[in-house]
Amino acid sequence: MKIFLLQCKMEIKRILRNKYFLFWSLVMPIIFYYIFTNVVNTNPENPSAWDAHYLMSMTVFSVMGSSIMTLGIRMVQERAEGWSKYIRMTPLSQSVYFAAQMIGQTFIHMLSITVIFASGAIINGVSLSAFEWFASGLWILFGSLPFLAIGTLIGLMKKVETAAGISNVLYMVLAVTGGMWMPLEIMPEMMQTIGKSLPAFHFGSGAWEIVQGGLPNWKNFLILVAYLTLFMLLSKYIRSKQEAV
Amino acid sequence: MNEVIRLTNISKSFQQKTAVNHINFSIKKGEIVAILGPNGAGKTTTISMILGLLKPSTGDIDIYGQHPKHKNVREKIGVMMQEVSMMPGLKIHEILTLIRSYYPNPRSLDDLIELTGLTQQDLKTQAEKLSGGQKRRVSFALALAGNPDLIIFDEPTVGMDISSRNRFWQTIRALAKQGKTILFSTHYLQEADDVAERILLFKDGRIVADGTPSEIKSKITNQTVSFILNPDLSFEKLYQYPEIQQITRNNGRIYVHSTNADKVLAILFQEKLGAHDIQIERGKLEDPFEQLTSTNKEVI
Repeated sequence: MKIFLLQCKMEIKRILRNKYFLFWSLVMPIIFYYIFTNVVNTNPENPSAWDAHYLMSMTVFSVMGSSIMTLGIRMVQERAEGWSKYIRMTPLSQSVYFAAQMIGQTFIHMLSITVIFASGAIINGVSLSAFEWFASGLWILFGSLPFLAIGTLIGLMKKVETAAGISNVLYMVLAVTGGMWMPLEIMPEMMQTIGKSLPAFHFGSGAWEIVQGGLPNWKNFLILVAYLTLFMLLSKYIRSKQEAV
Repeated sequence: MNEVIRLTNISKSFQQKTAVNHINFSIKKGEIVAILGPNGAGKTTTISMILGLLKPSTGDIDIYGQHPKHKNVREKIGVMMQEVSMMPGLKIHEILTLIRSYYPNPRSLDDLIELTGLTQQDLKTQAEKLSGGQKRRVSFALALAGNPDLIIFDEPTVGMDISSRNRFWQTIRALAKQGKTILFSTHYLQEADDVAERILLFKDGRIVADGTPSEIKSKITNQTVSFILNPDLSFEKLYQYPEIQQITRNNGRIYVHSTNADKVLAILFQEKLGAHDIQIERGKLEDPFEQLTSTNKEVI
């Protein structure tokens, strides 16, 4: 247990020291949030609802990014540099190692959610009920799971450059089709159909529902779980293929 | 238990290529053993199998009587591999603290600093900013962090300068005195000769010789007796002696190759050839190494 806690602590330290993480997961979403709720006039029907909606979009955008990119690229980096191999020779069990990475990542997500929520409250005075704050934060933590699984898929790649390139593109595509930057409703129908079949929209949708006083749709939940299962199976399959050598 | 490592009938093939071919050996507690051989002889493959990183195609490996991947085994082993790896994003003292926490009886940080020559500066540096030399020191410290009984190094001194190399071997000898078992691979003959008590000579995935450095030398080293002989006189008679392997002539000197120089001298005097200006040369370890490991081995 002591080993596990120390391992988690170190994982968290590592992420916080990563400048890319700080920039992409905290600074960028907050800047975007400020721009699209204050500088660019989107003429929303209900400005305060839009402020809350977009705050969720940006938080989801941040957490999705660190799930896919921070985790995936770090895994590739650790393998490329032989660190994972070194760990395999120490008494630390693989499951503790993996679990600590996941816990560390989740802790970081909690931090991102808190920071971005707080900046929403400060910048635009977004005011939600305690239940709404809490439930939307919890939903975002839960919704990050399929994206963490994508991260572990990215983590199976051989080269850091490839992993960084692919995860970047994937991240942006998912963000756009998920309606993180602008609502899916104002996009062409074709985009809407595609977006609604991908996990990102359902990730965001749950949070948007909550801040409008509703609850996530069961469909959002099921689709995220389905994607999580799919990505985990895929990751397991590829891993077994790679280890066959 | 006295036996630390036992390999029984171990082979490893990658697709078509056989990297290690049915080798057997065991290592006892407290031995310093070098796996010596040219690149591609199967040294790293063998070490990777001992460490449980590669699965042998055939055979069994026991370490302290258990499977290499067993947790009890891991707690007793310290490893330094060829590629030096660090956990990015952490400072060295943090990495050492973390790794030490994995082991039941870790070495103290002060001890590690003293053994490896890590400086306070090194400890405060973040992993990705280390220089090559610093990385080596850190990975040495990582290998010793758990106070291991068995220490395994794959080509440990590649990339070290002479002074760090000397320091490294000094530490290894000190650890051996504490009863640690040490296994390292190298393609530096000098290192194997200087440091190891026992050499496993690898060639093409097989062990071609196993013994103390001096045993290996005396078993296979040629000694040469050379002398000057009046050109009118014949040395044909010498060919009848089985101890004499080869006779060559160079710049008026005659060179007699044999494993037993004493015997050659006796023959020279017995035959009363009239040889003068006699010299004896003993081969270096490089020679048998070349002989045993070069593929175009000349038939003597």
